Amino acid sequence: MTPTRTVPIPAFLRRNAWDLGIWLLLVALVGYYTTLIPSFGDFQMASISKNSLPLVYLAIGQAIIVIAGGIDLSIGSQMVLSGAVAAQVMDERSFVATLILGMIIVLGGAVLNGIVGWVVNVSAVPDIVVTLATSFIWSGMALVVLPSPGGGTSPGFRELFTGSEFGTGTNYVNSMVMIVIPMVLFVYILRRRRVGLSVYAIGSDRNAAYLSGVDVRVAKIWSYAFGGAMAAMAGLATMAITGIGDPRASVGANATLKSVAAIVLGGVALTGGTGSIVGVVAAAIVLFFLNPILSAKGIDPNTAQVMEGSLIVIVMMIAGYSEHRRRRAT
Amino acid sequence: MTSTSPSIGFESDDDRLSGLAAARVYLAENSSLALAGVLVILVIATSVVEPDYFSFAGLRNTLLLAAPLGILAAAQTVLMLTGGIDLSVAMIATGAGYVAGNQSPAGAVVAILLGLLVGLLSGAANGVGVGVFRVNPLIMTLATSAILLGLFTQWAQSFLSGSTAVAPFISTLGAGSFLDHRVPYSVLVWAGISAMLLLLLHRSGFGRVVYGIGDNDVAMRLAGVRVWQVQIAVYTLAGLLAAVAGILLAGRTGAVDLQLASTFLLPSVAAAVIGGTSIFGGTGSYVGTILGALILSVLNSLLTFLNVGQAVQQIVYGSIVLVLAWGYAQLTGVHR
Repeated sequence: MTPTRTVPIPAFLRRNAWDLGIWLLLVALVGYYTTLIPSFGDFQMASISKNSLPLVYLAIGQAIIVIAGGIDLSIGSQMVLSGAVAAQVMDERSFVATLILGMIIVLGGAVLNGIVGWVVNVSAVPDIVVTLATSFIWSGMALVVLPSPGGGTSPGFRELFTGSEFGTGTNYVNSMVMIVIPMVLFVYILRRRRVGLSVYAIGSDRNAAYLSGVDVRVAKIWSYAFGGAMAAMAGLATMAITGIGDPRASVGANATLKSVAAIVLGGVALTGGTGSIVGVVAAAIVLFFLNPILSAKGIDPNTAQVMEGSLIVIVMMIAGYSEHRRRRAT
Repeated sequence: MTSTSPSIGFESDDDRLSGLAAARVYLAENSSLALAGVLVILVIATSVVEPDYFSFAGLRNTLLLAAPLGILAAAQTVLMLTGGIDLSVAMIATGAGYVAGNQSPAGAVVAILLGLLVGLLSGAANGVGVGVFRVNPLIMTLATSAILLGLFTQWAQSFLSGSTAVAPFISTLGAGSFLDHRVPYSVLVWAGISAMLLLLLHRSGFGRVVYGIGDNDVAMRLAGVRVWQVQIAVYTLAGLLAAVAGILLAGRTGAVDLQLASTFLLPSVAAAVIGGTSIFGGTGSYVGTILGALILSVLNSLLTFLNVGQAVQQIVYGSIVLVLAWGYAQLTGVHR
């Protein structure tokens, strides 16, 4: 997504134009939001940063899988499953116990989705079909674990994600840290570690990656495992925000759609091999942030949904059309 | 993992295959037979679980479900042949069914035409986005779906409020049957659409262009095909098919709401995939999709009869879709 210009601009800016643009958009939106509501303070900051956590996590997970050339239509169902499991096993437990259980759930999510990556490898069935089928399996399992909304966790665990033992408050530090840690971690893994580079390699050209010695199957499994871990994190965050688990499949389906929209807005091409986690995180926050902005403007949720969908289409139309024009010109 | 697809003919000419391998090659070349086998096994299994199932009444219930699913999967198949996909079919079907139900007081013909109009416009919008503006089909149709849901939720409270009961003609079409309550009318609609679609795909220039674009759209463009026009046409066709399915569903349930077809999205993709249509375009046929839709519908009946509860039902459904797709890929050696 580099703009073609005659005036020389620094390479860093050119390479990261899309990321910068989306972060600037986020800053502009925050600035705009402060003019819309009578008082903008810590409470609003906390509310935005904590409520965007699940979508940020899902978008990071989806982005890694898509960069590796796949797509995961079950990522929302995994979120629902891990939230249901967490609410069931964490209820009435101490903070330390919930923390350990949370780590086990994240690890479990990684293993489970790693198996899905393995199935994609050996079955030769397209990613989209495999994950479509597994989305049924995960949401069914969520209902087995937690038949109706309920369960709970320790106050400390809620504070970890939301900055407050009750899920609402004015402390935005915790949730911001929880956004930054996975972002920095995965930027590091994807750009600096062998496994991350192989994820980009198989997404951009599987055969070329294979011929240059990348173990394409292992890289695929890793991408799915990372995605599964982030989906599990999203489930934990949702549960920490609401205080209970919600096993409804529709929640998961909706979250999957949003995760795909977020990564596309964040500059990840659905064909794989390009995109960065930094842009995706900003796009996920932007996508969530549209809700409070539109409701502050007094627009009802249905119109808000129409505007959100239209915005994604318009952005993609401009991006797709300019890409098309440029390719024809060269 | 063995790759068999390109070398089948060569090997069978050169050295004789063992009986099992020969059967495998035969099934790979006639994959519809394998699917029909799965269908027969499922029907027998369901009859074992529920002896009453193997009757006109029992099978009629499955067909009432299979007809709208088959038509939605038809929309999906045509698009998948061009290398596209439509994640808005369920929402288009819901919108069309809702409009048809809501406008029923104006008469069945007007109601159906208005329902079809919803499909026409939504499909054309998808087509323009994908064909002219080169938006990824996944994103375009996802967004269309979200926009339609928002619009219809609003409209259901404003100028589409009121009647939610469908006209008698539409409910006869969706739920009624003829020949002494044996064959549903909706199957008749499905059969007509299937015949037209098979002619269109296999006996017309348009059909060849559809397959061609899925195979290699650059080559088609260089050969003088206006790819964007074909894409607008197929997405519009898919929208219309989804609308027909939605109207049948509205007739089947008798009353409309905005959840009408929401559970049909994933099965519509699954039916086409199980039927052997490649999600990357260029290969597949609607015959396979018909069998896929029938298999999923029988499976649905089987799981209902087993009475295992919603949760287990979903797990089994997902597992079987995965196993069928896996088995199909191994059998035919379709590789990415």
